[in-house]
Amino acid sequence: MEHDAALELKELKFEYTPGTPVVDIAHLAVARGEQVLLTGGSGSGKSTVLQLISGLLDPVSGSVVVAGERLDTLHGAARDLFRGRHIGMIFQSFNLLTGFSAAENVMAALMFSTIPAREHLARAVDALKGLGIETPDRLVDELSVGQQQRVAVARAVACGPALVLADEPTASLDPENAAIAMDLIQGACRARGAALLCVSHDPGMAARFERRQALAELNRAGKR
Amino acid sequence: MAMTDWTIIRRSMRARLFSTVTTALTVAVAVALLFTLLVMRDSGRRAFARGSGNMHMLVSADASPMVSVLNSVYYANPPRRFISWAKYQEITRRFPLEFAIATQIGDSFRGQPVLATSPELFTKFQPTPGEPWKFAAGAAMREGEAGLWDVVVGSQAARATGLKMGDKLSLTHGASTSREPGHVHTKFSYTVVGILETTGSAHDRALFCRIEASWLMHAFDRHELEEAREAEAAKAAAIAKGETPKAEEHDHDHEHADEPLPTMADLTDEDRKITGVYLRLITRAGSDVPANLAQVFTMLRSDASIQVAQPAEEINKLMAIVGNVDQILVGMAAVVMVSSGIAIMLALYNSMEQRRRQIAILRVLGCSRPRVFGLVVTEAAIVGMIGAVAGVLLGMGGAAITAEIMRARVGLVIEPMPSVEIVPLLVLGTVLLGAVAGVIPAMMAYGTPVAKNLRPVG
Repeated sequence: MEHDAALELKELKFEYTPGTPVVDIAHLAVARGEQVLLTGGSGSGKSTVLQLISGLLDPVSGSVVVAGERLDTLHGAARDLFRGRHIGMIFQSFNLLTGFSAAENVMAALMFSTIPAREHLARAVDALKGLGIETPDRLVDELSVGQQQRVAVARAVACGPALVLADEPTASLDPENAAIAMDLIQGACRARGAALLCVSHDPGMAARFERRQALAELNRAGKR
Repeated sequence: MAMTDWTIIRRSMRARLFSTVTTALTVAVAVALLFTLLVMRDSGRRAFARGSGNMHMLVSADASPMVSVLNSVYYANPPRRFISWAKYQEITRRFPLEFAIATQIGDSFRGQPVLATSPELFTKFQPTPGEPWKFAAGAAMREGEAGLWDVVVGSQAARATGLKMGDKLSLTHGASTSREPGHVHTKFSYTVVGILETTGSAHDRALFCRIEASWLMHAFDRHELEEAREAEAAKAAAIAKGETPKAEEHDHDHEHADEPLPTMADLTDEDRKITGVYLRLITRAGSDVPANLAQVFTMLRSDASIQVAQPAEEINKLMAIVGNVDQILVGMAAVVMVSSGIAIMLALYNSMEQRRRQIAILRVLGCSRPRVFGLVVTEAAIVGMIGAVAGVLLGMGGAAITAEIMRARVGLVIEPMPSVEIVPLLVLGTVLLGAVAGVIPAMMAYGTPVAKNLRPVG
């Protein structure tokens, strides 16, 4: 196990149907604070890999280590809490809680952390202000798309996670806004010292990352 | 303020406000129905149990023991048959009695029944065992000649008639329940000398006067009737002879305008009639049931000229009859309650499709499946609680209205107060029902696939 790894996958295998592996990764490590782009086309298993890393799916074999903890051996509520505390997630469609304010969306992540409740509001407001949201009380439904993305980023990093997973974060944006969004995501991760594993099929993203990893090369299941 | 489970539940309820309100209303109506039935059943039983008080037996000439109790204790109807004063005296001589209070029911005042009795009623009889009469103002009718035209007013009767201390009144012959309109005993004027505090029994709606006064009024009526009959006979005889009847003989009212009122000395045995006797046997200290109760009861029952009843027993019989009906009603209300639980379940079940994304987001943020389950069950329980509280308030109004209808139509004085345990039990039961109704939607929430529900829409 690499001591400085925010994420380490070893001999990770997963299959929806027995005998038909979808994911088979010998090794993947992301160092603390490192930013990695995982590329792959549709059906390459990108989303499945992210679900395995976040503990939403159980591997058939192998291990998933996040911030030094075997996530695959945790079960039930313990795994859910670990995910909430150590992994931030950003989605293409933001997945904000509608009917809740920007601050409440960020606090929704904090409520499952070990951070005392009395600090939640201040932390949420700080995280939002750091990303240019000056109206934390406004409902997210009333915010512009750009503002909603900032709220999603603020929520992902609010708990001070070791790892942020971004699933096609720019897929629905034009190139100009995609660049702004990636600046925000990468900047926020850097500012918080969080590693970033960004999954995308957008070739324009490659230049933003020092390390790029094609899932097709990594996933032995896809080569069979 | 920090985000909590309560914030999530509250927002979820507010997001579907119409559904939440209508579901809570459905629950409220069911709870109100059940509450009203339970309260009225309990209050009704209490009211019935209170009226017969500390008497052991009731003697009357009614057709059956239950009718006797309903008429002489609950003022259902004036008894049609009388007991002679001689019989009353015979009873008091034969048995060791703590009290034998003679009563006569037949007159009324503005629809309120009048119980003609002795002042002993207020010193010896207790409308509820251990709870003697209390006067809000004044005192009982005085003994002797001075108190002959005194009248005491029950609390409900005072409210209904507006009678106050010192007011003068004349009684109407015939009860409020009688189909024939009675005449007013205008010659006799009573004075209000006491107003009672509420006893929670049927006596609250009655007025109380001296039995001797009642005898005097009816002696006067009897005398008038006899004279009228004589006049009619004379008139018929004159017509038969071909003579013209004298005009003044028709002026009945004029004829009696200055007629002297009867005195106690004028009363005959026929005038001294009573409709009931409240009996209490002598008991040992610390015991309410005398050893000779069964024996005295049997001896009295063997007298064919009277009817004897043990009020407590008759009330139990009545409650057993009514109990079957109210069990059906309570059962129906329980079915309505279950239906309201189903309404909670359907409302949450239908909302689940819209909530799957929210649940998936919470799961990704670290919310466990059991916590998601708990959020949905808690929301269902809260809808149940809102409905329960609203239902209890609604039910209190319903019970008050029902009590008023019972008082006006049946004459049963019911204080619609729930027994101490009803409210918490009903609220707790409804909260539990809500929680149980939330289990199926909560299971759906529990099993929500996260990745599938986080995919971009469209």
